[in-house]
Amino acid sequence: MILPAGLFPVLPVFNTKESEHAMIGEKGFWNRLRLRLLFTGPTLFAFLAVMIVPFIYGIYLTFTSWDGISVAHTLVGFRNYGSVFADAEFWSSFGLTLKYVLFTVVLTNVLAFMLAYALTKSVKGQNVFRAGFFMPNLVGGIVLGFIWQFIFNNVLVYLGQKASIGIFSASWLAEPDKAFWTLVIVTVWQYAGYMMVIYVAGLTGVPADIQEAASIDGANSWQKLIRMTIPMMVPSFIVCLFLSLQRGFMVYDLNLTLTKGGPFGSTQLVSMHVYQKAFLSRDYGVGQAEAFVLFLLVAVITLLQVYFSKKMEVEA
Amino acid sequence: MKGFKKVSLTALTLIVSASLSACGSSDSKSTASSDKSGTDNGVKITLLNSKGEIQTQLEDAAKSFHEAYPDITLEIQQVPSGTSPFERASTLYASGNQPTMIMLDTGDVAKFKDHILDLGDAKWNSDAIDSALDLTTFEGKNYAFPLAVEGYGLIYNKAVLDKAVGGNFDPASINTTSSLEELFKKIEASGKKALTISPMDWSLGAHYLPLAYGGQSKDSTEVAGFISSLRAGTVDLSSNKVFNGLMDTFDVMMKYNMDQASPLSPTYEKGPEMLGKGEVGIWFMGNWAWPQISGFDTANKQYGFLPVPVSNNPDDYGNAQISAAVSKRIVVDKEKTTPEQQAAAKKFFDWIVYEQAGQDFLVNKANIVPAFKNITMETPDPLGKSIQAYLAAGKVEPSLSDLPADHWTKVGASMQKYLSKAGDRATLAKEIEDYWKTVK
Repeated sequence: MILPAGLFPVLPVFNTKESEHAMIGEKGFWNRLRLRLLFTGPTLFAFLAVMIVPFIYGIYLTFTSWDGISVAHTLVGFRNYGSVFADAEFWSSFGLTLKYVLFTVVLTNVLAFMLAYALTKSVKGQNVFRAGFFMPNLVGGIVLGFIWQFIFNNVLVYLGQKASIGIFSASWLAEPDKAFWTLVIVTVWQYAGYMMVIYVAGLTGVPADIQEAASIDGANSWQKLIRMTIPMMVPSFIVCLFLSLQRGFMVYDLNLTLTKGGPFGSTQLVSMHVYQKAFLSRDYGVGQAEAFVLFLLVAVITLLQVYFSKKMEVEA
Repeated sequence: MKGFKKVSLTALTLIVSASLSACGSSDSKSTASSDKSGTDNGVKITLLNSKGEIQTQLEDAAKSFHEAYPDITLEIQQVPSGTSPFERASTLYASGNQPTMIMLDTGDVAKFKDHILDLGDAKWNSDAIDSALDLTTFEGKNYAFPLAVEGYGLIYNKAVLDKAVGGNFDPASINTTSSLEELFKKIEASGKKALTISPMDWSLGAHYLPLAYGGQSKDSTEVAGFISSLRAGTVDLSSNKVFNGLMDTFDVMMKYNMDQASPLSPTYEKGPEMLGKGEVGIWFMGNWAWPQISGFDTANKQYGFLPVPVSNNPDDYGNAQISAAVSKRIVVDKEKTTPEQQAAAKKFFDWIVYEQAGQDFLVNKANIVPAFKNITMETPDPLGKSIQAYLAAGKVEPSLSDLPADHWTKVGASMQKYLSKAGDRATLAKEIEDYWKTVK
């Protein structure tokens, strides 16, 4: 495992009261354990086998100088972590990823909220629109990257040259700054529909009675949106922000197929750098150590996000 | 309202059922094939193909191999485009899903040495062309089957060049940077574009720039010495004659490049189209591009290679030579394979080298320049023929096929920077020197 797939593994928590109860008789305890294992065992086993064991083995590998293929590997202590902090490319790609995450999170959520708000106002054909905006999610990231690569490289350039629109006359993927924005545009296009669905659910959950009361008190729709709807929807925002943050940090497929990290490595996001370090430069130990450092950083950022936004939740 | 709901619901149902049926069909396929191998009681072997352009030919070869040996089923897997063979192979090894045979680049074989079978006692070892096995022989044992000789240089479209020079174009007349520039001028004067540079990192980083290493000397030990002093960080590239000569030629190429407005835009597919249609006279690429060129061919199969000149002295090494070497080799896994599978894999190699159908696949179908002396067939493809001619004349500079695995991405990126004029030659030299210092 090179990248931790889920950030919040749900660990089985033993109910203290029940386990106290179980401790009364040895037999009772074993019976209970057997019963528990019967139900949670398969899931627990799968979880341990595909998440925890690889995760721990991955951490072990960060202390070796394994190249990814050789049979033997030697322990090198903390030297790999030293290399992580000395690897300027890792930190510059992490910086670029932060920039990417900032723009995609803000733009995705603003757009998704606007779409959701518009599509809960009984627009004609709103279900078709909802399905349409959701559609990009059903296309896998790899295919999506190739489709948009064609659009940016050929379609837009063709239109730009025919209609002499300066900004489109050369491929956006050939210039570092514009290539970065292609990533942002495609990500926002892909995820806005998904987040929209969550916001639609949140918006329909805002009680109608308080809105009506506000209307009677003379609040206009802007005031209702700012003072009531948005505070009531904080749980939706938490979920959407978390999802878009986590996806932004972990993005790899789109990066690989749309820009390949190019031109000249200028759009290489951090996941891609880690993968290349491990499998292309054959520095599995350092790559794994970078993955672990990345995991810690992302875990801290997302935990802080959830902690602080939880505080903003209100009761109706 | 209700009507719309129905429409979206139908659309959703369609999508879900389509995705389900997609899963279903792949499932049934895999069970069908495993059933088959079970009932036939035969051997099933797999080959990971890293030469994407011969995928269909390989699949056909697998069929005719199966006809010749009905108890062996060969399945061809493919390395996804944009992924290096090593990346894919080591990922498969890490997950324990390695195929029976893996097609690797020459330089990667050594890394897999502990996992692969010693092929040294096969008959074809003695029929291989000179020094074809040197790089995959460890402690006197050869570990890999040499599949293809590949070469690269400046590919020309003879129809365009004949018109440009007004007569029969002689490739030997291009042996200096200035004669190349003259040729570019003549092509432009004839109303065509001179050349197109494909800006892929692998083309610039794995093919163009290594000419500066290989061109250092005729003597391969001196080239190896040059590489080790690069690693040691003692080479000053900006004062290196061959490097500067090569980049001078690159400057000339950039000056006449048809895409200089946005030099990083072209994709690989554009090159063969422009050259085949005769829009440009010259394209820097290798003989693997022939299948794509032939799709657009307007020059009646009249193509060939020009060397990339590195100076203005026609006698300098590199000005008359094109770069070629065994590029792809097949290795056999020894960890997950049964003795039957190993025997089947060895049979497949013998089939390629010694049987009519195998040779026909290699030379005529896949357009490969074989690495075996006993195969006398001439490749039907003009670029392969051109390489065979250079090989026969001894005008070949061995390509550097054992460069570090990430050389092409890192140095390729620096070359792209130079090509798009985002960095000058001093930056390029420094980035290459810095890259070599980080190599383990």
